[in-house]
Amino acid sequence: MDYKYIEQLLERYWNCETSIEEEQILRTFFRQKEIPAHLLRYQPLFAYQEKEHEVGLGNDFDERVLAKIGATTVKATRLTLKARLMPLFKAAAMLVMLFTIAGTMKYAISEKKGNEIIYVYDQFGRSAADPQVAYEADSVKSPLKEVAGPSPLTEGHKQ
Amino acid sequence: MQEISFRNDILPLKDKLFRLALRITLNRAEAEDIVQDTLIRVWNKRDEWHTLDSVEAYCLTVARNLAIDRSQKMEAQNVSFTSEAQEMPDNATPERELEEKEQWGLIHRLVNELPEKQRTVVQLRDIEGKSYKEIAEILATTEEQVKINLFRARQKIRKKYSEIDKYGL
Repeated sequence: MDYKYIEQLLERYWNCETSIEEEQILRTFFRQKEIPAHLLRYQPLFAYQEKEHEVGLGNDFDERVLAKIGATTVKATRLTLKARLMPLFKAAAMLVMLFTIAGTMKYAISEKKGNEIIYVYDQFGRSAADPQVAYEADSVKSPLKEVAGPSPLTEGHKQ
Repeated sequence: MQEISFRNDILPLKDKLFRLALRITLNRAEAEDIVQDTLIRVWNKRDEWHTLDSVEAYCLTVARNLAIDRSQKMEAQNVSFTSEAQEMPDNATPERELEEKEQWGLIHRLVNELPEKQRTVVQLRDIEGKSYKEIAEILATTEEQVKINLFRARQKIRKKYSEIDKYGL
């Protein structure tokens, strides 16, 4: 197998001419089991770089920091318009519910008493199909005028 | 800009911050302390989060400054961290023994013997895989300076390798 490419990359690595991706290629190359003897000596360097990346702190550290900060449990959340108006909506819903209940109760109580008066008006008793007559009845016939005798307007109309 | 959450965006940086602090102070307990201080400081500046280009770079900068401060204090107390670095392979935990076996101990020492700036650049580039631009931002310097530091560090490591070749370990 030809290792020219790796040798070139390595040379460029020493001169700081490699990109992050190329350096990752080197690390990947040195991760494999079969490495030619003349490159083998560089294997620990790249293995070290990968191993050091795994060094870290335990989960108990998080708890300690969060405890020190204390307030982290109070998470800042941005209120949307909807969330901001939610209490109002709730209040409105509550009112609607109360009115419904109150209305229903009032209706139920009054029904029990049975003393409601139904007012019936004869709205259509004096209606007439002929527009002329309807006009007469509505606008002209007033009790006062009936007592006072025929008005000049009705007189004129009759003629 | 997206909302930054301490728990989801900043706390997960702890390992990265720890590795950087460890690389500078070469002391696990100190490094852990530094990460904690860094996170608390960043939390206290939460009103400014939205003004930052990169919260990660900001956290790393804070951690580095704290780590340098602590290292200087340690030095002042005569606890030289370079001497500690050389002692490191001796206080052999099973982990370290394994490293020695695998030649990692040698690399570890090699990197940790570099001056602070070179060490930090190696950490951020070779271990964290950051771009020159990001590193420059974290160190508050130019990309050119970052490259120069990295070049010197890699050349030192390479030289060490050729010495080993010539004279053995």
